[in-house]
Amino acid sequence: MSDVLKQVSDEMAQMVETAGQSVVRVEARRRLPASGVVWSADGLIVTSHHVVERDENITIGLPNGQSASATLVGRDPNTDIAVLRVKDAQLTAPNWAGTDDLRVGHLVLALGRPGQFVQATLGVVSSLGGDISEDAEAVEDVLIMRGFPSFEIPDVPPMPPGGFPMPPMARRSLERAQERAQRAQERAKGRGERRGRRWSQGGSFAGRFEQFVQTDVAMYPGFSGGPLVDAAGQIRGINSSALMRGISLAIPTPVVRRVVETLQSHGRMRQGYLGIGAQPARLTPALAEQFKQETGLLLVSVEPDSPADKGGLLLGDVIIAVDGVMVRTLEELLALLSGNRVGAEVPVLVVRGGQSQELLVTIGERK
Amino acid sequence: MANLLQQLNAEMSGVIESGWRSLVRVGNGEGAGAGTIWHKDGLIITNAHVAAKRVYRGWGRRTSGASQELKVTLADGRDFMAKVLAFDEENDLAALAIEANDLPTIEVGNSWVVRPGQWVLALGHPWGVHGAATSGIVIGKGTSLPEMPPGRDWIALSLHLRPGHSGGPLLDADGKLIGINTMITGPDVGFAIPVDTVKSFLRQALGARSGEVV
Repeated sequence: MSDVLKQVSDEMAQMVETAGQSVVRVEARRRLPASGVVWSADGLIVTSHHVVERDENITIGLPNGQSASATLVGRDPNTDIAVLRVKDAQLTAPNWAGTDDLRVGHLVLALGRPGQFVQATLGVVSSLGGDISEDAEAVEDVLIMRGFPSFEIPDVPPMPPGGFPMPPMARRSLERAQERAQRAQERAKGRGERRGRRWSQGGSFAGRFEQFVQTDVAMYPGFSGGPLVDAAGQIRGINSSALMRGISLAIPTPVVRRVVETLQSHGRMRQGYLGIGAQPARLTPALAEQFKQETGLLLVSVEPDSPADKGGLLLGDVIIAVDGVMVRTLEELLALLSGNRVGAEVPVLVVRGGQSQELLVTIGERK
Repeated sequence: MANLLQQLNAEMSGVIESGWRSLVRVGNGEGAGAGTIWHKDGLIITNAHVAAKRVYRGWGRRTSGASQELKVTLADGRDFMAKVLAFDEENDLAALAIEANDLPTIEVGNSWVVRPGQWVLALGHPWGVHGAATSGIVIGKGTSLPEMPPGRDWIALSLHLRPGHSGGPLLDADGKLIGINTMITGPDVGFAIPVDTVKSFLRQALGARSGEVV
């Protein structure tokens, strides 16, 4: 009677069993254990940063029921990924796949192993994207974490034709933005302290990542750090319930790969740093026409002796592009800086006094 | 020519329709839950918390033993007063008898073959909506699941159980009974008592052969 349904059901159960051979239990926090995925059979395990609350005394529960001790290779709070290494354990590496051919509506499974046995939930891909601005509060957290001033993005009047000297209206707008930025920074400071008490890392979970897979899989307790598995049993990413409240997000395999490789060679992620506070501002019609973009980033603060200061960026400059890539929003700039660009000398295209010019800035490292 | 998804839909409806025949409503005078016909001669399984008598003592509501005023409503609309044959609050199971014969039953399966990832369907009366279905997959099973007290066997489900689903059947893709819907720990996570636990409950309570399906 139910041929297709029975077949689908059996295939899903079989897939859980097969992919589950690469899903391990990660015991690195006081509460419930979480999950991890074997990255390579030589001992690398990928899991969520937020479930690894201690740097030592980490235990991995293997699919065959045995346990092995693990060491921390490194962690990246931005993508909520941590990499562990186990020695002398029989590991089965899964089939890691990219997300280029993943489409909204595809069936996916989330796997976890908070106990001895593998567990699974089912869902569909809800969205694939690179902009996490749906949740205003989350965006604010993101900005705070990177040390950028944070504020509601206001309606800034367009820059007057002719540019500087600034007419009173634009100047007032700039001042208001600076005040808001300062207030936001103060708020952020308080928030950071509260966070520090709540979580052992003292940092925020809400990360900055340019790519993600959003799904409607239920994140059962202990599923963080487990894999997002497609219909072919391939691993498309690492699930985390901590990247955004109430939404299941997975960090796609290509991002995981980049993080794993960087953590392996450096032990930590190197975050690019310019030393500016900025907010999006609408460009004048003429400039918008010239650069084929609606907004740029208006500098509302430049820290002394920062890479931006040394490169000659000034308060009131509007950044159009960095390293040949158009930046319309803070998210785009942050994404550029998170891509392991420390030490690179990049051209920054700015509008100053109505004229565009290019400056060379050496990207520093956020400490 | 129907595509695969349409075929899936048709087959799911088939499982639901066969499951409906064995789904009953169990009214305890105050609220109502669901129940599952186990035997054609009137044996019905439900949760102890559905069949329990409610008493008010001081603050709040307590339960105290099995209710003597249980009303079972069949899918065809017939009402019966039920006698409680066995009542086990620890396992949250109750066996009821009604004076009816040749009731439609569904095939009883085995829960030890249940695997995480397999498709399941739960029937019941969520918020009083009659015969509503929700489907999902098995998250896992066993005695040590997160958020659950250890020691008892459960099937964890990724579907939307709600008040009123309690006591209703959990079916697999073949339409076989594999569990009794019992509780939730969140909007997306439900728990069912495995059908093997129901069998041993019946064997213990009603004698050696009563757990077998005839």
